[in-house]
Amino acid sequence: MSEVQLSLNSVDKTYYGKKIEAAVRAVKNLSLQISKGEIVALLGSSGCGKTSTLRMIAGFEGVTGGTIQLSNHEIQQLPPAKRNVAMAFEGYSLYPPLTVRDNIAFALKAERVSRSESDAKVMEMAKFLEIEEILERYPSSISAGQQQRASLARALVRKADLYLLDEPMGQLEPQLRSVLRVRLKQYLQEHQMTTVLVTHDQTEANALADRIAVMEDGELQQFETPTQLKHRPANIYVGTFIGEPPMNTFAAEVKPVGKGFQFQLEETGELLDYQKVDFQQPLRAQLIQHKRIVLGLRPHAVKLGKGALQAQVISNQWLGDQSHIAAEFANRIIVAVSHQREEFQLDENVPFHLEAEDLHFFDAENGNAIAHGLEM
Amino acid sequence: MNQLSTSQRVFRGVLLGLVILFFMFPIFWIFLMSFQTNEQILRIPPSIFFEPTLINYQALITGRLETQAGNLDIAFMENLWNSVFLSSSAVLLSLVLGVPAAYAFARYRFRLGEDIAFTILSFRFAPPLLVLLPLTLYFEDIGLSNTYTGLIWVYQLISLPLILWIVRGYFEDISPDIESAYRLAGHSWLQTFLKISIPLARPGIAAAGLLSFIFAWNNFVFALVLASADKQPVTVGALAFVTASGIQYGQIAAGIVLSVTPTLLLALYAQRYLVEGLSLGAVKG
Amino acid sequence: MATLQLDRVTKKFKKDVVLDEVSFEAEAGETLVIFGPSGSGKTVLLRVIAGVYEPEEGKVVLQGHDMTDVAAEHRDVGMAFQNFALFPHFSARENIASPLTALRKSDSEIEQQVKSIAKLLKIEHVLGHLPRALSNGQKQRTALARALVAAPKTVLLDDPLRNVDAKLRFEMRLELPRLLRRFGSTVLYVTQDYREAMALADRIAVLVGGKIAQFDAPESIYLRPSSIEVAKLFGEPAINIFRGQVNEQANRVLVNQNQLILPKGFQNKAGKTCDIGIRPESIKLFREKRVGTTSYEVITITPLNERSVVLLRSQEGLELLATYPAEEQTTRIGDAFWGMVVPEDLMLFETETGQRCLPEQN
Repeated sequence: MSEVQLSLNSVDKTYYGKKIEAAVRAVKNLSLQISKGEIVALLGSSGCGKTSTLRMIAGFEGVTGGTIQLSNHEIQQLPPAKRNVAMAFEGYSLYPPLTVRDNIAFALKAERVSRSESDAKVMEMAKFLEIEEILERYPSSISAGQQQRASLARALVRKADLYLLDEPMGQLEPQLRSVLRVRLKQYLQEHQMTTVLVTHDQTEANALADRIAVMEDGELQQFETPTQLKHRPANIYVGTFIGEPPMNTFAAEVKPVGKGFQFQLEETGELLDYQKVDFQQPLRAQLIQHKRIVLGLRPHAVKLGKGALQAQVISNQWLGDQSHIAAEFANRIIVAVSHQREEFQLDENVPFHLEAEDLHFFDAENGNAIAHGLEM
Repeated sequence: MNQLSTSQRVFRGVLLGLVILFFMFPIFWIFLMSFQTNEQILRIPPSIFFEPTLINYQALITGRLETQAGNLDIAFMENLWNSVFLSSSAVLLSLVLGVPAAYAFARYRFRLGEDIAFTILSFRFAPPLLVLLPLTLYFEDIGLSNTYTGLIWVYQLISLPLILWIVRGYFEDISPDIESAYRLAGHSWLQTFLKISIPLARPGIAAAGLLSFIFAWNNFVFALVLASADKQPVTVGALAFVTASGIQYGQIAAGIVLSVTPTLLLALYAQRYLVEGLSLGAVKG
Repeated sequence: MATLQLDRVTKKFKKDVVLDEVSFEAEAGETLVIFGPSGSGKTVLLRVIAGVYEPEEGKVVLQGHDMTDVAAEHRDVGMAFQNFALFPHFSARENIASPLTALRKSDSEIEQQVKSIAKLLKIEHVLGHLPRALSNGQKQRTALARALVAAPKTVLLDDPLRNVDAKLRFEMRLELPRLLRRFGSTVLYVTQDYREAMALADRIAVLVGGKIAQFDAPESIYLRPSSIEVAKLFGEPAINIFRGQVNEQANRVLVNQNQLILPKGFQNKAGKTCDIGIRPESIKLFREKRVGTTSYEVITITPLNERSVVLLRSQEGLELLATYPAEEQTTRIGDAFWGMVVPEDLMLFETETGQRCLPEQN
């Protein structure tokens, strides 16, 4: 696992418009090391620079600065065809005059793979992605979801040093998507295929990736495993971006009381009281030093039913395996998740409490995480 | 990929310059010719340095053409007026008829719909001479020959198919949902057509109107056969410059400059509608 | 009183039957979600009710009046489209005001009503903008405001959250019920997201292949789906389905050599083959062996919406998906779990028709 397959070193991308002022720095000083056989997702909202990054790795865009190394060779100057990289595109990228079968086999032909071997590979791929029935059809006569799977098959069937997948499941039906995610991950792992995929959908990133690189505004925010991202977000952006429903946040003032603290919410002055909790050093010193912080609360950490705090329910939605309850608290909406069906009525005042272990502390100035729970 | 190197930029400039030279030179030359006498035009070798004169324009505007063989009356200004009147009337009529028809072809599927649309387009395939002879005879019979009405009617063969087919495409590009939304807001079909469909197809209507105006303006054969001197447009009227004593290049050039001017002005005016974005941002891409 | 009735509505495009004798009723003030996979006819159904499409057969009755042959503008229906369908040459204000201008209200009245709904939807500051200057979220709210501003008796929402990002979608899902209640309209809401359907619906009509597969309250559909097809459409990850053999005593069912406890009431299935449905959250997981549990190895773990999804494999080779609250356990691949299917949550389906077998009452 430790052998580095793909390495981006301080990669920069600037798009120059007609005027100098119109220049956009889409990717800023991005460094990533991806091990052999690892599956990495570039995750972010539209315009965060993830697609530019993918296109630079593929060779469709030049880098403005920095280097890209694949299998220990610098590739940023090579044309796409010489990089030995396979890519599956999001949209319509199949060759229209070829059947789906010929589209998938296209690269194999160029690699002079024997006919029988190529046929077998195409068939295996088609079965795997459930497109056997449309192998003889032309791209114009199949649905968007089928086109996408054909494009995916065309990329995966090749032998390459790196596989790039651009929103690989965006067009698929939800049902099929969840089945194929599991299957695709197993396939990539079994064949030790180093993969970089781009997605805006965190469910997809969670399901497929070993590690996720969260990007925003051209900058890498955090590069971690899905679990770590969830439990130890590096800053407010990652904290509120990862997790569905999103993390609740409150700006608060730090007031040391006894061994513990009180946190006074800035907007309404409500007190969250933790004076009996033992905040150990160095967390204690950190909090005192910051004075103003942002508290992050995962929805599951909002424990409804008892406690000193009160919120007024504005919606209570049961989704089969969990309930989402939104309630008004301190002039804001706080969202709670419960893993059973809750019977709260609308407009009902519900008591709740927040355990100190479940709090995330962020710096109010720059948004960086100070601590998660009572550990730094 | 997005930035061009200096050499690429220079190369692009040179290529563009060549293309512009190729297309613009004749027009530039004609413009120069219109300010020269026949003698200056015909000297060998030609020169772009000369003493400009306005006599060509003077002759056209006063209607008196002075040649070595004697004086000649020409009706150029009347011809110009005829061109303006015939072309704009024809285009206006085509718009009134063609835009609703285009909408119908775009939105509704009806029996023989495609056949009718295609038949109208096929007017553009037939050589005008094919229909001219029978048309002349009919027009004689029903008293339409040598009338504005008759000519405008015949000009529909030119402008209607263009308007119908271009505007139809624009109507098809408007999401039916936008129209449905306006109907559901409580507005009638007609209001929807006037307030939503037409404004959104305006770039197409402007383009089609302009194009058919140019085609109508440039028509020669119909007017030559079906109209006599007082109803003729400039295209036919220009024949008068081919006189017994030779071809009056100077006046022809001046005539061309004058007859190009209205279409040019119209094109400049319509450009604003042509480039106006269609339904940008209203419907999720 | 039913304010909206569909009576055997059939819609065909050429030879394709898109809606096949669809009938249902909605009560005043009710939010009815039409849920189904893409291509199931949801959008067409909404358009038939709106009057954009004419059905070949059947009746559309609104507020007790047969509206089948009435033009769209006279049906007192507001609609929000999936692609927003804003008028690109009108400002947001004019867009929202369009249903009011049709009612020939005075300018001051229109202005006041537009302002109040814009305030409710938090788009007051962009009322002067053209649609192209609006963000996706603002477009979607403008479209919603336009559908609601005249407080129509029937509101049709065609997957209005489809084209906005996940965070906005979630916020709107929480806000929407409160907003809709304010207007008291009967709401028909189309979606292909089962969570949206469950969150918003008073009742759900599950549309599959142009037919109503089930029409019921969200909890009934989730807990008591009428068929395998419906069961698979609700729940993520999807329900586990296995072929199983019911034993002669009808108290156990054998799935791939694993014995599962069968709830009471299936005597008539004794010795028969059935399809077994187990929802991932119905599998209770323990760290240590307990009575009635089977041991499983963890193959993969993925976080999903505040829960963790694990792919488990039993020693006999049975693979199934289970979920548990994300904050509860820390698990690694290769760990062992002792799992037990909650008997009451086990579902039985006919192998041939896919219909759910109902337990006998006694």
